[in-house]
Amino acid sequence: MNLVLALAAATLFGVGAYLVLSRDLVRLVLGVVVISQAAILTLIAAGLTRGEAPIYPLGDGPVSDPLSQAMALTAIVIGMAVTALLLVLVLRVVIAHQSPDLDELAEEEAERDARLERRRGPDQEDEEEAAR
Amino acid sequence: MTALSLALLIPWAAGAVVLAMDGRRPIVGLIAIGALVATLATLVVLLVEVLADGPVEMTTGNWPAGVGITLRADALGVLFAMLSAVMLLAAAIHEVVGGVRERPFPGLVVLLTAGLTGAFLTGDLFNFYVFFELALTASYVLATYGGSRRALGAALVFTAVNLLGTFVFLVSVAGLYHVTGTLGMDAIGTRMAGVDRNASVLIAVGFFVAFGVKLGLFPFHFWLPTVYTGARPAVAAILSGGLANIGAYGLLRFGADLFARELELGAGVLIVIGSLSILYGGVLAISRTTAGEVLAYSAIGQVGYVLVAIGVGGPVGFAAAILYTVINALNKSLLFLTGRLRGPFVAGVFALGALSVAGVPPAAGFIGKLELFRAAADQPALLVLLFVGSALSFVYMFQVYQLDFWRAERTGRQSGWQQNVVLGSLALAVLAGGLWPEPLLAISRVAAAALTGGQP
Repeated sequence: MNLVLALAAATLFGVGAYLVLSRDLVRLVLGVVVISQAAILTLIAAGLTRGEAPIYPLGDGPVSDPLSQAMALTAIVIGMAVTALLLVLVLRVVIAHQSPDLDELAEEEAERDARLERRRGPDQEDEEEAAR
Repeated sequence: MTALSLALLIPWAAGAVVLAMDGRRPIVGLIAIGALVATLATLVVLLVEVLADGPVEMTTGNWPAGVGITLRADALGVLFAMLSAVMLLAAAIHEVVGGVRERPFPGLVVLLTAGLTGAFLTGDLFNFYVFFELALTASYVLATYGGSRRALGAALVFTAVNLLGTFVFLVSVAGLYHVTGTLGMDAIGTRMAGVDRNASVLIAVGFFVAFGVKLGLFPFHFWLPTVYTGARPAVAAILSGGLANIGAYGLLRFGADLFARELELGAGVLIVIGSLSILYGGVLAISRTTAGEVLAYSAIGQVGYVLVAIGVGGPVGFAAAILYTVINALNKSLLFLTGRLRGPFVAGVFALGALSVAGVPPAAGFIGKLELFRAAADQPALLVLLFVGSALSFVYMFQVYQLDFWRAERTGRQSGWQQNVVLGSLALAVLAGGLWPEPLLAISRVAAAALTGGQP
């Protein structure tokens, strides 16, 4: 069972990593969601024991570990809130840039750097000339 | 015990209330500042208690110990909580007197304080994760502050990268729970000795990556320059002076306390990564010409020193790492807050901050470097590295000082008197740390002793 869960978590992580590396912002969000599921699966797998439901154990048999379930639930709630935040952020970026494509965002960044270089360029030439 | 509960309760309750109000009104900003001051006051009380009687512990909700969540304040945790609260307070005052632009700013700063304080004062692994996430979520929103296209793009990068970092952290928490069967940090520390080496090293690497991303260490630094230059000065100061502390704290708490064996094993790797950070940050900072970019790359270099000190280890190494984190947070807050301001006073405090980053007396940075030298005294290669790093930082800081203030290329507002007061107090703190370092040295030794379990 442990091996199956480990494989499932690894596959989810891999799929998520692939999605995060893509150029589309919505795919980036999906990738983060899938990776969060991998983390939650690992949490559940970390405390995997067979037994009665821990909320009200009646028999004398073993009780399954309630802590990993509590952790998984907390992680799911936090993950959902953060995903919602990330989606809003993506929405604002898409509205501001009129494009969900990361390449275009990067292009703008490069342009700004080039402008900064140009601003410095003539300045320094003046100085060199003055020095001569 | 009362102080411990209040330190968590005040910022949490106040943050939730302030967040619901319109933060652009000055009165709301003042309430937020009042909440931060109150938090800081309780932390000071807590620090006095901890220094006098040792760590303060309590279990929430009157559950029996071992069932409920433990809150635990030792010297290291309280010191970091105080440091972060001071930095956030300075940034909040700076922004409130300059005029807040967006509704949620004051509330978010208070909530960020709640998250940081909680993370530093918890004795429970999963509780650490929850507070960690609270602090990060507040900072994700803060990174968009200002609303420019650039800030938005930077915030997206920041959020995505740090989210991945926290999931790596969560997987490591799961691993640690699996191998030790507990979430209490005390119990984990004692049970780690019996854990299989392969598993424990793997988990330790997971934690290292998670905190390395927060700190912006060399191989995980790629998000940092975009975010620090895209954000407004106050936000950059909050992120580098407040939030980054969690990375240093995590490395110290998890590395020195929980994974002492694994830290010894990986000491060489930490020193190499730290050295790479110092050199990479220094060289790239020299190639940059705007203050924001230089400071961002400088931040990558400066955390390298902390990592090297942790790699050296032992009471002296940990004390040096703690001291350097405190001084670095002060420097970075001071320098980032001078952004987009000009005038002779700003030039003066910038010069003092630059001296501190370069490690020149009388600024506090000198004491930090001195302690690092002490820690690395028997390793000549490290001494050379520290010297080269300091030389690099001297060059890049004064290169940008010259460009910004001598050639008067800095654009921005003339600083007002209230902003001068904030900058002046931070500058005084930097100066005081350099001229009268004994209290700072003593407290960092006590904090390091809390980690190694020995006497200061």
